[in-house]
Amino acid sequence: MKIVIAEGKTKADFLIGSLLKKKHSLMVINEDRAFCDYLAQTHKIPILHGDSSKIYTLADAKIENYDILIALSAYDSDNLAICQAAKRLFHIKKTVAVVSNPKNVDVFKTLGVNTAISATYLLTQIIEQASTVDILLHTISIEHNKLVLTELLMDKHCPYQYRQLQEIPLPDRALICCVLRGNDMLPPQNELLLLPNDKLIFLSSPSAQDTIIATMTGRKTK
Amino acid sequence: MFGTKNKSILIAGCGRLGGSIAGSLSEQGYKVTVIDPDKEAFRKLPPAFSGFQIIGDATDLDTLVKAGIKDTDILMATADRDNVNLMIAQIGNVIYEVKQVYIRLYDMEKQQLVEGLHIYPIFPAKLSIQEFERLSTIDIKEELL
Repeated sequence: MKIVIAEGKTKADFLIGSLLKKKHSLMVINEDRAFCDYLAQTHKIPILHGDSSKIYTLADAKIENYDILIALSAYDSDNLAICQAAKRLFHIKKTVAVVSNPKNVDVFKTLGVNTAISATYLLTQIIEQASTVDILLHTISIEHNKLVLTELLMDKHCPYQYRQLQEIPLPDRALICCVLRGNDMLPPQNELLLLPNDKLIFLSSPSAQDTIIATMTGRKTK
Repeated sequence: MFGTKNKSILIAGCGRLGGSIAGSLSEQGYKVTVIDPDKEAFRKLPPAFSGFQIIGDATDLDTLVKAGIKDTDILMATADRDNVNLMIAQIGNVIYEVKQVYIRLYDMEKQQLVEGLHIYPIFPAKLSIQEFERLSTIDIKEELL
């Protein structure tokens, strides 16, 4: 894929290294002259020195030929301007921004940035999930947070052990994808008898996740 | 005129421009709130200023809500940085549905980022050129700008 990396230092450096390993074609725009020099010595990629939030800089970089733009500036407002310019004026389909203020994750989405990432936001989600439920083994957001995969352990408190899989009441927009038993992957057939220490993998909307966890722990939903 | 005086105005950035407008509108009886991250910036307000002063980052939703953006009639974004102003203006117009939003932009090209919204840009560069034309009576071709 053709990717533009705008601004950033340590994050940009790491990302450039790992994207090049995966054979993506990159273009780097950075305001910091010394960082541009360093990158030019380390990698053979096009580098443009300039302020990425200036429209003429983006025009000079010919970013309209790229698929994705990633904005890594430390200032949220700069990242917003960069992504909006890339999208509206240069028709880049996908823009990704890192934000320092976790509240800006939703603001950016409302204002047209495809994906906004905040380390604090992710950390909070992980801590909340880890601290509320012991049986929650893994959870992964997919399809831009529209769906989540949830892996739950059937512990001794689960009301559905020694019951059939079809007895688990599922909320709307939720299904059981698979049951893991030891090293076996069992298809989610209705008659499957569930045993202690089985691991169930659910696919659902994020809002249904709480209901599923509540059902499996035998608690009431909050 | 009584109706207009009850209007509430939120000014983000208490520099020379934001501070002067805030001071003047407050003296005229408008309900004015000024936000600036630097407490010292409020010294630019005149002694007669009777509005609210909020210390904080005006791109932060909580600061804006605390400053009353939900009931604001007019929002002015007069921070130093264009990108900060663009962000504040869009949060105000798109998220909190403020009907009248004014924004100071040094870079005229960036107007394209808020086209189609109820955000009205003010360009110091353009105003200076117009003033130069008036004072010098030399005509600057607009299309060259």
